[in-house]
Amino acid sequence: MFDYETLRLVWWLLVGVLLIGFAIADGMDLGTAMMIPVLGKTDTERRVIINTIGPHWDGNQVWLITAGGAIFAAWPLVYATAFSGFYWAMLLVLFALFFRPVGFEYRSKKDSVAWRRNWDYALAVGSFVPSLVFGVAFGNLFLGVPFYFDEFTRPIYTGSFWALLNPFAIVCGLASVVMLALQGATWLQMRAGGEVQGRAQTMATLLGPVLTVLLAVAGAWLYYGIPGYEISSTVVGDAPSNPLSKTVTTTDNWFGNYTDYPILWTLVAASVALPLLTSLMAKAGKSGFAFTLSSLAIAAIILMTGFTLFPFVMPSSTDLASALTLWDATSSELTLEIMFWVALFFVPIILGYTLWGYYKMWRRIEPEFIEQNSVSNY
Amino acid sequence: MWYFAWILGVLLACSFGIINAMWLDAEEEQRADD
Amino acid sequence: MISESVVELSRWQFAITAMYHFLFVPLTLGLSFLLAIMESVYVMTGKQIYRDMTKFWGKLFGINFALGVTTGLTMEFQFGTNWAYYSHYVGDVFGAPLAIEGLVAFFLESTMIGLFFFGWDRLSKVQHLAVTWLVALGSNFSALWILIANGWMQNPVGAYFNFETMRMEMDSFAEVLLNPVAQVKFVHTVSAGYVTGAIFVLAVSSYFMLRNRDIPFARRSFAIASAFGLASAISVIVLGDESGYEVGEVQKVKLAAIEAEWDTHPAPAAFTVVGLPNEETMTTDYALKIPGALGLIATRSLDEEVTGIKDLVAHAEDRIRNGIVAYGLLEKLRNGEDTPENRAAFSKVSVDLGYGLLLKRYTQAVVDATEEQIKLAARDTIPQVAPMFWTFRVMVGAGFTMLLLFVLAFYYTAKRKAYQTRWLQWFALLSLPLPWIASEMGWFVAEFGRQPWAIGEILPTYVATSHLTETDLWMSLAGFIGLYTLFLVIEIYLMVKYIRKGPSALQTGRYHFEQNTATQGA
Ligand code: HDD
Ligand code: HEM
Ligand code: HEM
Repeated sequence: MFDYETLRLVWWLLVGVLLIGFAIADGMDLGTAMMIPVLGKTDTERRVIINTIGPHWDGNQVWLITAGGAIFAAWPLVYATAFSGFYWAMLLVLFALFFRPVGFEYRSKKDSVAWRRNWDYALAVGSFVPSLVFGVAFGNLFLGVPFYFDEFTRPIYTGSFWALLNPFAIVCGLASVVMLALQGATWLQMRAGGEVQGRAQTMATLLGPVLTVLLAVAGAWLYYGIPGYEISSTVVGDAPSNPLSKTVTTTDNWFGNYTDYPILWTLVAASVALPLLTSLMAKAGKSGFAFTLSSLAIAAIILMTGFTLFPFVMPSSTDLASALTLWDATSSELTLEIMFWVALFFVPIILGYTLWGYYKMWRRIEPEFIEQNSVSNY
Repeated sequence: MWYFAWILGVLLACSFGIINAMWLDAEEEQRADD
Repeated sequence: MISESVVELSRWQFAITAMYHFLFVPLTLGLSFLLAIMESVYVMTGKQIYRDMTKFWGKLFGINFALGVTTGLTMEFQFGTNWAYYSHYVGDVFGAPLAIEGLVAFFLESTMIGLFFFGWDRLSKVQHLAVTWLVALGSNFSALWILIANGWMQNPVGAYFNFETMRMEMDSFAEVLLNPVAQVKFVHTVSAGYVTGAIFVLAVSSYFMLRNRDIPFARRSFAIASAFGLASAISVIVLGDESGYEVGEVQKVKLAAIEAEWDTHPAPAAFTVVGLPNEETMTTDYALKIPGALGLIATRSLDEEVTGIKDLVAHAEDRIRNGIVAYGLLEKLRNGEDTPENRAAFSKVSVDLGYGLLLKRYTQAVVDATEEQIKLAARDTIPQVAPMFWTFRVMVGAGFTMLLLFVLAFYYTAKRKAYQTRWLQWFALLSLPLPWIASEMGWFVAEFGRQPWAIGEILPTYVATSHLTETDLWMSLAGFIGLYTLFLVIEIYLMVKYIRKGPSALQTGRYHFEQNTATQGA
């Protein structure tokens, strides 16, 4: 139905959709869980927090797994290069994520203060670290990643883990943490009862402006201080996927796409404004609106990131031509087409039963409810 | 087609389990009635 | 070039994390259907005890499930982190089932599991029952898609090598789906899961009976497990035999190693029951043989030969020579000599390119390989025989032992004597480790027997790794082993704790530890 070039573009969008799905859904419970020690003072309060996401965290996490799987299927070179190049960053995320399934499931299976406290911290750290590392990784994409391909397209990474932790990337990492924490805070304001609700409201009110400031800092830094990349040969949208068949040069900054398509500035405006609006709504006690606006903010921020990098997915700083773009790092036409139909068919079904699940479980989790149903809750 | 065999096989094995439990229960009830 | 130890360590890391994942997987696969059975009986009869059963076994299911998810995450990451060249080389084909697994199976399973645990009083009876069945279906779909992926590694159909992109590309999705190896692998592996679930319920119920606690609860669980288990144990054996037949068709080397068939004998070949395979002399010492049996099992005929290891090595040598030619042509094609003649010549020999890559272990410049290097590479195509021979026999032994257990358990349940028959209860309790041993051995046979290939006859394991250092791998390996050990200790502690409490853990007031008098709820 589509030609190869269109399919490549469609898959760039679909990966974006999966990442947005991940950040909205799993971001909500990552954000919620990382604030357990901050927002929950007593054991019951912490259980209130945990049980708002109890039935949903596992399904939400599948957005991450599926995004990983989709990158493997649609952009095998990106999967290979990013996962092996960012080896320690990935393992750090993985080791941190380990603590979430066990944390949720085991935390209340023993009546011991120390046991529960430890799992609470495990859940918080296990949610904080991935949120940070994902932001740091995206920050590094703008700086270019030190890798190249040998003659048989084996990706070789020449950087170190510590080089990932540069100041710009850390700002991006913090922005990512705050973005997900804001999402979690609005969720809690909407679903938690008792003291937690009020504390979540305060948190949501505070975090919006912080996010806007962080984004503004990162944006200005990117505009004034960081060179961009550009494909300098002609792009052949339906050529076989071989990154080495193009040439790339550096440019003054990453804003070339904005010069060509000024409409993109609306995404920037949305990314800066939506967190502020979220906080206003949170402060006004309109938690449903706040949660919706926070989700929209996430979508805007991720789209902005994608369109700024476009058509790059992973630029290389050491061997410019090795850069991975959405035109030359994809699977074959057949695979992209099959996967497109599979996604088109299943994503609506997934959204359907996921929403049904949220609808069925919808209620405010009050402290009394936890105490009365101690055995069946997390 | 082993995939097809799987569908039938699982259903069969599950019905087997269900029937065995109901049979046991039915007999217990009868014994209780006696 | 890639150091030998990076490859070794990557293999160890994959093997350890995969085998660890598979400690939890089979119980999830089997127990989910057992939960669905129990809840179905509850919905049909309305008897409270079946609801309690679903909830209690569901708690144990949850403890196990958490680690299934935890360790599954590793599997998803690991192809990219540790097998980057593999991911590039076959991602076009292999990535698809993995992504579909997420879309079709994990979403379903993980969303429904939340509703299973938290939905008891938010959903109607029938809705909750549907949720339970969907959990079972979701987990089995995940097995389906991952085994399609794994089946393709064993028997890479529906794909061809594209020299322009330097990787395998899919040309028939249907062939990948209907791959005969994937099909038998799926049914054999899920049946193994059902056996695991059934043995688990049988053994724990026997423990309650041996302790004389919660007898009505234990008897019903035992009855369900014995019937479901009997059906599954028969399937696992029938389908295991079918797996063996399929291996004989497409992975002759693996079959020869499992059976320690050094030489090609006149058909029908004899089956070696036990013996001591000897790599040095290429013979099996003290072999106890059944005439004709192997020919029957492996070829389903009396007149077809089973090719022996020595002949397979010679055959591999020929293909390596062809592979050298393919490699030479590939270099030309990629270095500007993309002429129609070279393309035509390459397409004739490209099926053997993988054999050429086997030489990478001995020389960078494949085209100048010496005679001796070719011989070494040919010898590499045979996995070590003794470990294959023994692990296979342990799996089969466990399979028949469990079949015997289920036959007895079913018979005694039907006779209504199971709960007075102590020796049977002990037999069930002591059989608890068997399904796990069998599954781990089974994966060893399947994966170790695939060596030296990461993708059968296409991509040698040796070239499939990421560009990492030995230190990276030692450290990540230490991380995995440390964390996984910690989790395993916690998991077993909780399992034991909840099994000890039994259904009293539900705090309904109906079970043993909550009752002062001898009367028990039913
Ligand atoms: C035969 C079955 C089988 C096999 C061979 C594998 N898995 Fe698995 N996997 C399951 C059967 C399963 C399951 C039964 O569906 C699990 C186990 C417990 C659970 O939570 O779901 C699961 C969980 C699970 C999860 C967590 C899903 C979630 O969050 O719900 C991931 C990401 C993977 N697996 C990935 C893999 C990969 C990449 C594998 C191959 C290398 C693999 N699994 C082998
Ligand atoms: C979960 C059950 C599994 C177990 C227990 C298992 C076991 C093993 C073992 C023992 C090895 C090491 C072989 C060796 O190095 O000698 C291995 C390697 C490997 N297996 Fe599996 N395996 C499992 C599932 C899978 C699946 C489902 C896939 C693919 C989807 C897979 C892909 C691989 C790969 C890529 C390697 C490393 C490369 C290699 O050594 O060939 N495994 N596995
Ligand atoms: C008489 C009984 C059995 C026979 C003849 C048998 C046969 C086989 C064969 C030939 C393989 C290798 C397939 C391959 O390499 O591709 C295999 C693998 C395997 N077996 Fe068995 N098996 C038996 C019993 C069992 C039992 C009882 C279990 C577990 C409860 C089990 C679990 C597995 C698993 C998990 C694998 C790896 C997945 C696969 O390759 O299918 N098997 N079996």
